[in-house]
Amino acid sequence: MLLAAPSFGISQPAVRALLALIVITMVMTVAVAYATWYERKIIARIQQRLGPTRTGPFGLVQPIADMLKLLVKEDLRPADADPVAWELAVFGIFVPAFLAVVAVPFTADWLVSSLPLSLLYLLAVSGLSFIGFLMAGWGSNSKYALLGGMRAAAQLISYEIPLILAMIGVVMVTRSADVYSIILFQDRVPLIVWQPLGFLIFLTASIAELERQPFDIPTGESEVAGGVFIEFSGIRWSMFQLTSYVNMYVFSLLGAFVFLGGWEWPFGRDVGWGYQLLLTSAKMSLFIVFYLWARATFPRLRVDQLMSYAWKVLIPFALVQIFLNGLFIVYDPPYVDAFLLVSSGLGAAALVTLVYQSVRVKPRLPLQMFSNTVEARSVV
Amino acid sequence: MLGILRSMGVTARAVFRRPATIQYPTVHREIANRDRAFPILIWDEEHDEPFCTGCHACERACPVECMTVVMKDNPKHATGESKRRKIIDEFWIDYGRCMRCNICVEVCNFEAIGMNNTWAGHELSRYDRSELVMDLDRLLSQSKAKKVEPGLRA
Amino acid sequence: MVAEHEQGLDIVDMPINMGPQHPSTHGVFRMVLVISGEKVVDVTPHIGYMHRGGEKLMEAMDYRQGIGYADRTEYLAQFSAELGYCLAVEKLMGIEVPERAEYIRIILTELNRLSSHFMFMGAFGIDSGLFGTSFTYAFREREYIQDVFEEVSGDRLMYAYFRVGGLAWEVTDNFTQRVHEVLKKTQKGIKDLDDLLTKNEIFMARCQNIGAFTADRAIAYGLSGPLLRASGVNWDLRRDEPYSIYPRFTFQIPVGNYGDVYDRYLVRLEEMRQSVSIIEQALEKLPPEGPIVPEKMPRRLRTPPGEVYAKVESPRGEWGVYLVSKGGDKPYRLKMRSPSFCNLSALREMTVGQFLADAVMILGSMDIVLCDVDR
Repeated sequence: MLLAAPSFGISQPAVRALLALIVITMVMTVAVAYATWYERKIIARIQQRLGPTRTGPFGLVQPIADMLKLLVKEDLRPADADPVAWELAVFGIFVPAFLAVVAVPFTADWLVSSLPLSLLYLLAVSGLSFIGFLMAGWGSNSKYALLGGMRAAAQLISYEIPLILAMIGVVMVTRSADVYSIILFQDRVPLIVWQPLGFLIFLTASIAELERQPFDIPTGESEVAGGVFIEFSGIRWSMFQLTSYVNMYVFSLLGAFVFLGGWEWPFGRDVGWGYQLLLTSAKMSLFIVFYLWARATFPRLRVDQLMSYAWKVLIPFALVQIFLNGLFIVYDPPYVDAFLLVSSGLGAAALVTLVYQSVRVKPRLPLQMFSNTVEARSVV
Repeated sequence: MLGILRSMGVTARAVFRRPATIQYPTVHREIANRDRAFPILIWDEEHDEPFCTGCHACERACPVECMTVVMKDNPKHATGESKRRKIIDEFWIDYGRCMRCNICVEVCNFEAIGMNNTWAGHELSRYDRSELVMDLDRLLSQSKAKKVEPGLRA
Repeated sequence: MVAEHEQGLDIVDMPINMGPQHPSTHGVFRMVLVISGEKVVDVTPHIGYMHRGGEKLMEAMDYRQGIGYADRTEYLAQFSAELGYCLAVEKLMGIEVPERAEYIRIILTELNRLSSHFMFMGAFGIDSGLFGTSFTYAFREREYIQDVFEEVSGDRLMYAYFRVGGLAWEVTDNFTQRVHEVLKKTQKGIKDLDDLLTKNEIFMARCQNIGAFTADRAIAYGLSGPLLRASGVNWDLRRDEPYSIYPRFTFQIPVGNYGDVYDRYLVRLEEMRQSVSIIEQALEKLPPEGPIVPEKMPRRLRTPPGEVYAKVESPRGEWGVYLVSKGGDKPYRLKMRSPSFCNLSALREMTVGQFLADAVMILGSMDIVLCDVDR
């Protein structure tokens, strides 16, 4: 089903696909530009200040101003940068993000292309972006960039695994790897009810994939600022930032479709594309608000803590979820839904209580308080 | 996990507070009466001359030596209009060196110098550092125009 | 730099420069870290970027002009610096400060301790990776305190309010009421920062067992202030070598157990609460009327020849003034014992062996003020 609504009476599938792609690219570009506006406003309100207010009413022209500024900036290129790696790093990150939008069904009729394995395609394509980080880190010929690039690659690869395992759990339950069918599966109950553990794992792993606080070691820290993107300025840097927001949209949409029911729950397909779009946007916004909220609230994890969290906590729990799913599918007990809900819920509770297994917060002695009368004095 | 949820609760509560931002320069915050912006000279309305007699007390007391004072015989004393024998002739303060410590105000014997406590005293940006050297007319202008009533005196 | 040969490849430790410009607020400070993978092998701090010859300049200032310079040395705990300077001269000249002036001095110094620790909270949150939330919360509270300071002294940062013998001028009429208001408002700020950071598991994971310093190493390095107390040494100048009228108040002194970054943070948080308690007690006991300078105050301050060392407990540690006078109204030599400088000397031992990301946390937990390090 190709883009049905604004088809302008064109019947050739290739031309309609091209039109759909152009529309989506333009919409996504504007959408991510205004995602930056939204982020700045929300984070500012969390920090008890106003965001952009002077550029246009409520600062709405700010993204355009930023874009213009970045476009006219001088395009600096380090003399020792590796020509191929440095030049193509931007594309290595930018292209997979937009490729992912191709398989996303915005409403029941609006999608660019219907793939029978669209979930697999989405995960595969979003996993390609780490190559761009490596190229940026290596090609910049700078120690900070190198550190940032290596950390980015390690982080992205490590957190792919729990993400994919959580999705495998979903696929096991819905017997389909197509996002469209997964949405249709949820016509009565969204999947978050059957797979709460999978949902939590997806949430955490997706923040790590987006490289936002608390997992933003590759960008932001690296001891000064910028990390991988130190040597990129102007339009290249803006492409990195926009890619980060496109990824945020893609993961939000994925989460909204796979776990929250997308446009199908609770009203079904007959409501028309207006309400479906509204539902999609609302559910996607929940995820986006959560990502922004987490960004303003959490400090950064250190690299080793981050890695051990992925490998020692998330992956075992994801495997537990898969095991539970398999158990119920194979043995098919009566009230299988209730069993799945309870066991998965218990798993989620266990994950929540054992948040930092690797840095096990040992009980500490509280501070000793000494009064200021001289009798209480003793050194050491 | 509770700690993380508590942090998120704090940030969520903060969204509903009034932001602490003031839209300067459209809105100016109220500044205190004793605010010390930069020194200005006070104009004596009764005798239509500055209070300052050029006695060099503030110039000597200044820690950073930012003032230059020249006095002259007061023509109004000869005619009997004023009791001041000497009056200030030239007075330069380099606002770029002044550290706004208020010592000049404390040592003045005639209460002739005070600290500007208005926004005009703070908003003194210039493109060239030499423009920050204020001469006698500029120093007297705020008080002559009755725009300033310095807070701390002596 | 260690080079090894393994299968024909050189393995070299990488020097990294954390240059004079930091994104966090510590000032112009340069650190050259040599890292091997992610672990720090060597640290070389480079200081001196903010050296202005303050001690030499103060030899040309008399005892009223020098107060402005003492301010500028410790720009976050100005009243502690002014207090130390005034105490030194008063000790040398044998001047007694009137009661009302003492109480007001204590109130202002403790308010300054509160605002300095707020600044620490804000900057420390940023060091640990928060996107600026703790900073804005902390500075919101600092603004309340600075408003009171502006009403009383006239300036928001460089107060120059204390004088030898007491205060420069009388406080405003609604001083007590304003300070009560400020204390109430900042309670909310302390609670906010506490909820945001203290029990946050990520923050705890970043802070615990980092840069641990035992008590005997802390004493060997001459650390002071919250760093010393976090290491388990029960030493606070306000109690052990009291100055001004601190013995009249009852407050508690928090002492940590492990000496790591988290303990230093907790000690400072608790000190903030104790400061609030001291201010409340002082406000109750403040004499409503009284002189603020002694009656027979000489017009020109001339000290007898001699030398004196006076120290105060600033929010960073022991801030001391060693004053040598040969008679006259200007000091012959004035040395400022700065706590940040002495605390910074322990940086290498604390950081070697930790991860790269922890180096930033350790530097943040020392809460140095570069003007103090370089004077």
